[in-house]
Amino acid sequence: MSLDQADPAALPAAGPATRKTGRTAGGGAGRRGHDRRAGRWWTPWLFLAPALLLFLYFKFIPMVSALTMSFQDVQPYLGNKWVGTENYATVLQSAGFREAAWHTIVLAVGQTAGSMALGLALALLMEGQGRRLGFVRSAAFLPVVVPIAVVAELWRIMYHPTADGMLNSLLGLVGFGPSGFINDPDSSMASIMLTGIWRGAPYDMMIFLAGLTSVDRGLYEAAKVDGASRRQRVWHVTVPGLRSVFSILFILAAIRGLRVFTEVFLLTNGGPDGSTEVVMTLIYKLGLEQNRLGVGAAGAVLLFLATLILTVVVHLLRRRESK
Amino acid sequence: MQRTRWIGAGVLASALVLTSCTSGPAGVDAKQNSKAPLELWTRTTPGGPGEQGTLKLAAAFEKATGFKVKVTAIFDDFETKLQQRAAQKNLPDIVLNDVTQLGAMHSQGLLREIDLDKIKNSKQVVGQGLDSGKSVDGKQFGLPYSAQASALLIRKDWREKLKLEAPKSWDDFAAMAEAFTTKDPDGDGKNNTYGLAAPLSTKRGYASWYFSNFLWAAGGDFITGAGDGKYKPAMTTKESVQAVQWFRDLGCKNKVIQPGAVTMETPPTNETFEAGRTGMFVVGPYLLPRFDETLGKDKYEVVPMPKGPKDATVLAEGGSVYLMAGSENMAGQDAFADFALSAEGQKTGMEGETGFTVQLPVNKTVDISQVRPDPRWKTYAEIYQSSGRYAPSIPNWTPVRQTTADAVNALMADCDLDTGTKLKELDKQLADILKEQGIAAS
Repeated sequence: MSLDQADPAALPAAGPATRKTGRTAGGGAGRRGHDRRAGRWWTPWLFLAPALLLFLYFKFIPMVSALTMSFQDVQPYLGNKWVGTENYATVLQSAGFREAAWHTIVLAVGQTAGSMALGLALALLMEGQGRRLGFVRSAAFLPVVVPIAVVAELWRIMYHPTADGMLNSLLGLVGFGPSGFINDPDSSMASIMLTGIWRGAPYDMMIFLAGLTSVDRGLYEAAKVDGASRRQRVWHVTVPGLRSVFSILFILAAIRGLRVFTEVFLLTNGGPDGSTEVVMTLIYKLGLEQNRLGVGAAGAVLLFLATLILTVVVHLLRRRESK
Repeated sequence: MQRTRWIGAGVLASALVLTSCTSGPAGVDAKQNSKAPLELWTRTTPGGPGEQGTLKLAAAFEKATGFKVKVTAIFDDFETKLQQRAAQKNLPDIVLNDVTQLGAMHSQGLLREIDLDKIKNSKQVVGQGLDSGKSVDGKQFGLPYSAQASALLIRKDWREKLKLEAPKSWDDFAAMAEAFTTKDPDGDGKNNTYGLAAPLSTKRGYASWYFSNFLWAAGGDFITGAGDGKYKPAMTTKESVQAVQWFRDLGCKNKVIQPGAVTMETPPTNETFEAGRTGMFVVGPYLLPRFDETLGKDKYEVVPMPKGPKDATVLAEGGSVYLMAGSENMAGQDAFADFALSAEGQKTGMEGETGFTVQLPVNKTVDISQVRPDPRWKTYAEIYQSSGRYAPSIPNWTPVRQTTADAVNALMADCDLDTGTKLKELDKQLADILKEQGIAAS
């Protein structure tokens, strides 16, 4: 019980929480100030205006026009034609889309779980202040800063499907036959997932490390005195202490997972046999390669809705839990 | 209070959005001005040799006719940028782009019809080249200025070491591929060579693009004309199935195609040929300068594809001149098209070691060996004239290419799939695509 009470709002979660209290408190103060200074409600908006104007033109207008395009047959020169929900029907009824949606979910779940597990393990291993740890941490963080195009090319070389390929020669040492990796419909998805985990884990590790510093050291000592084993301390002290870090990471990773594109595009482009086709690669093919911008836009809107719903649901769950 | 503010902001935003979305009528009838400079877009790397070549061609055109041309080279997102100009109702006057883009540009209303009577030199153009510029309804909307066809590149040193002849039939072809794979043609004692280099990725439809050389030679087809500009799917005909089966055996049974082919597009495939991992490659002439440098001119040879079950048909491709709608200088547009097809224009386009805009001439009166003495170019030119075949100009060829690429890729990646079932599925998908484009034969 004392654990729960001692559970401090870990770093990333502290942000929104304090902001929220800040806003209500500030709101009250503002209303009082508002009475005193009479009007001027637009002052903050004036300060925000430059940013909002940029957002408006480079974010919101394009988003709204994508939404309009999703209801149109897009022909810039002849003039767009309204087709109602036909584009949505085309997208939803195509077997390709449903398959791609399923692949996206599988990939998102696998990559999220994998990166979080590996990230947590790495973070626990590298927690501390030692000077050498800093070096090791930077080294572990490298996959995140390497451009994804380079990462994809490296993994393509490592995944070479013959017995003298890099990973295959390692597999050969322990007596497994050469795998096709990204070239085999049975293993392509797992291979892409592995690449994604390799790339995503260090990022998660960094956030976990930040979260770990906020776990009260006293709790570890208390648990140790009470005779808790190392594993019990991780499970009963560290993990609950990181709960809010988990939910932030989960949202971030899920959004990243749903929008996965570059690694799939570069490694397999949805092949072989459509085994790795995800929603984004399909939208790219429909919208840009086949020049059916309306259908592509409809797919993009659906993906946006899915992301939105997911974020809201996770948010609501969190709120209920914190109550 | 706060809510009303939000509503206000929302109204303002939507008003802005609406003003940005209104569209005027398409500007088709522009006032004519024969002095107006022509704006020409070409799909090639800016600053690269392709742009230099186009500039040279434009300069020769200006000198010959007196019209002014401004050349813009764009490579990345060419189609997207064209769409943006279309949205502004201000298209460039002339576009040099791939011949397969005709359907897409025409169905978007970007092109104006070409009156062949005004293009005198069109009479000298190779028949199938001229046809490649016709839309489904038989009207001329593009004119080819450069052509390519596929030929077979063979590692000459390997072939001579194993004492083989250049293949004359598909059986020879398969036998040579097998020999290159199993008989250690590079003599390093390792089993690390393969017979055929093949880019079979689904990206941009590579698998379908490559396979068309084999499909058509077998008498098969992706889609086949049914008269009146209508088409029907043809991947389940006896000939198509046979071609698929034969090609599939190369990969699945004989294992003579380079490993990893199903995720490779052309760049990594080129590398397998250059690095001495593969011994045969079916490609167009644009790779000759590159392979001469990396591999050496003496290491490989260019021969026509062997005759398949039907004939030696190969994929023909190339660039076309498109005259864009809404131009204020239609006389200048016509003059440029005429010049690009003329013997003089074609020769100008072929000059240079790498920066040529014309790969193979489309004008029958031009002899390639006068400009390029290298006999390999002559081989390519002859293949194009006798066996080159273009993809049909349906409203949008890309979905057909992509869908067939997906299927070919699947069949090559997963050797347990049943050919017949997969091709039946493919035919159904193709039928849907044709129906959607309004050209399905009932």
